[in-house]
Amino acid sequence: MKKKLVAAMMAAVMTIGLLAGCGGSGDSAGGDAAADNASAGDAATEDAAPAEPQQAEVAEATTEDVTIKVALWDYSNTEYYKTIFDAFQQAYPNISIDVVEFTADEYEDVVTTQLGGKQDFDVVFMKGTPKLAALVNQGHVYAIDDLLANDADFNKDAYAGLVDELSLDGHTYALPFRYDNNLLYYNKDLFDAAGVAYPEDGMSMADYHELAKQLTSGEGNDKVYGAHIHTWPSNVYMFPARTEAFKFDDPTTYENLTAYYNEILAMQDEGLVQDYGMLKSSNIHYSGVFYNQQVAMMQMGTWYINMLFENVGEGKENNFNWGVCSIPNNDGMGLGNCIGGVTPVCIGAYATHPAEAWQFIKYVCGEEGAKVLASCGIIPGYSSDAVGAIFDAAPETYPNAPEGLSKYMNCEKNLPEQPMNAKGGEIDSIIQEEHSAIMTKSITAEEGVQNMIDRVTTALGQ
Amino acid sequence: MGKASSTGGQVKASTLRRRKTLVAYSFILPNLIGFFVFTFVPIVFSLFLSFCEWDSGNPIKFVGLKNFITMFTNDKSFWISLTNTIYYTVVTTPLTLGLALFLAVLMNKPLKGRVFFRSVLFFPYVASLVAIAVVWMALFNPEKGPVNGILMALGVANPPRWAASTTWAMPTIIGLTVWKGMGYYMIVYLAALQGISRELYEAASLDGANGWQQFWNVTWPGILPTTFYILMMLLVATFKSYDTMYITTQGGPGEATKVLAYHIYNQAFKNAKFGYASAVAMVLLVIILIVTLIQFKYEKKFTND
Repeated sequence: MKKKLVAAMMAAVMTIGLLAGCGGSGDSAGGDAAADNASAGDAATEDAAPAEPQQAEVAEATTEDVTIKVALWDYSNTEYYKTIFDAFQQAYPNISIDVVEFTADEYEDVVTTQLGGKQDFDVVFMKGTPKLAALVNQGHVYAIDDLLANDADFNKDAYAGLVDELSLDGHTYALPFRYDNNLLYYNKDLFDAAGVAYPEDGMSMADYHELAKQLTSGEGNDKVYGAHIHTWPSNVYMFPARTEAFKFDDPTTYENLTAYYNEILAMQDEGLVQDYGMLKSSNIHYSGVFYNQQVAMMQMGTWYINMLFENVGEGKENNFNWGVCSIPNNDGMGLGNCIGGVTPVCIGAYATHPAEAWQFIKYVCGEEGAKVLASCGIIPGYSSDAVGAIFDAAPETYPNAPEGLSKYMNCEKNLPEQPMNAKGGEIDSIIQEEHSAIMTKSITAEEGVQNMIDRVTTALGQ
Repeated sequence: MGKASSTGGQVKASTLRRRKTLVAYSFILPNLIGFFVFTFVPIVFSLFLSFCEWDSGNPIKFVGLKNFITMFTNDKSFWISLTNTIYYTVVTTPLTLGLALFLAVLMNKPLKGRVFFRSVLFFPYVASLVAIAVVWMALFNPEKGPVNGILMALGVANPPRWAASTTWAMPTIIGLTVWKGMGYYMIVYLAALQGISRELYEAASLDGANGWQQFWNVTWPGILPTTFYILMMLLVATFKSYDTMYITTQGGPGEATKVLAYHIYNQAFKNAKFGYASAVAMVLLVIILIVTLIQFKYEKKFTND
């Protein structure tokens, strides 16, 4: 019997061991980190204020040959990274770049785990603010306050408030590389064919709904949907978030979501947008439905501009004219604010060359990097007249693109889709879960929003 | 080698035993080191972590039973995941077991083209889970999937919305798991069935036992140890499963397919609450331990081993 007990325990232990296996690197690396945590933990908190000597090294270090480690995703299939990095190396011949690439889907989790093991990345690209805030909280990110303050060439105003959005508890931790605000894209050809006027800035949700109705036509495989709501929760909460009626990390604002959910559910019921459950189980990517002219309007981030440049036009598989306008809302806001995702770039807390890392970050997130991004149709976090002019000139190169794109990039206020909050990831999971329940009509919008309020309030209180 | 030294006669028995033991240990050692470093140490660390708060960056903070108290009193997701895990296990295990046995008995008969059928049934097990999951989700697509197409052609006005419905999402995933797993267990059962002596069946048919009686009196006792083995493997596999949900529904819609292991994964790697995640993992460990103990007890009773 005793043997059996031991055997049973071993079986159970091995089972959990398999579980632990999924985070094997995390656990074992964590083990090491835990061992010297007593001393390192203090050091990590001190990183919030980088030591003075490091600042002094900045100017001198530039002539020495150093290699900085840069962690990012999608490097091998994204042209502009190489263009910018090459330009940087020409400007700073003594700094070589060692790119550490991870797959896009798991990037943030992997990088968090790696930093947990005190990996010496000098520069870390992040996909968004929630994980950056979590990294900051864990002491994995170097605060750049002193670097910002002592650098005379740095122009904070060019980021339209975004640099301040990348602060937590009074310290700044990153610069915005890209800022992808949300726009409503529309297919001009489909609007012309239906004899309907193009959508305009400042539509209400009811206007949007009505427009979608007018544009919906056909049956079966030939059906054209008036609009497209992709499966992300942000494709609902972004509408009220742009007018600041909804704040991602403030559950007291969540009830403002209900009206938006009900409007979108009604559109889904009327068959004006593709069904959420269908999109989700088929894993349908948003890009194709718009390229193939299956939908007349679609809300998407400005990264889609570049995708449209590349995929729609004369001699390409899809050829139609497209335009953009600001996303609808029920508060009467026209151009006004922008809301969208930030791609922050930060310095790792265990960096060997933080001074050179700063030079790199300042370059890729500055005028030079911004120009390269703009010429690829990507919206940089940095804005200037020169950058805006590149977008306004887009129809010369891409005749299907609309004129005057730059006015959608110079907003009064640049709001981040998700503010810096260490619990951002947790809030995001909760909103995602309730969103899927609402959109599959498993629960009503009112119930779902109430669940969000309850759960996020609990999570924030813990 | 052992034989040569034992015939030597000069070597003392105790030395011999020690040498043999050393040889045995040296064979076990490579595996044991792996087990120790990659399984045992993380588990002990995990047990320790379950009484702490840790985000992988800041120092580990000992918090006593706080994680467990939060889990049992203030984490609805934990209870939902626990219920879902039990639902998933309780339905998947007997279904896979029953179907595997049924198919094995069928495939054990002199059937035309049975090698072909065996391969077909075994195929989902060999194929990658990701591929299988994509195919399954396409079949059960609520709007465009062939399953609902057939149901609608048969006159079902509102067929289930499968993975897009909180009620049907779990059955959809259970179906996928059963489909993927049954081929493997069928092979295990086939091996057991072929191990039963033909003479027993001959004797039974001489005694006038019909097919059903032969199954209960000859086949079933013969495959009982295998059944217990499969039962244990299935229970453990389903309790710790989360990959299928991760690929197909990400635990949704809502939290309809969120299981404990998925909750642990989320808490640890999404929310960086390694201490809390470890505490939930300990609960899962205890559940599996209890289930396994009960099983060992009954196996002894039923197999008269």
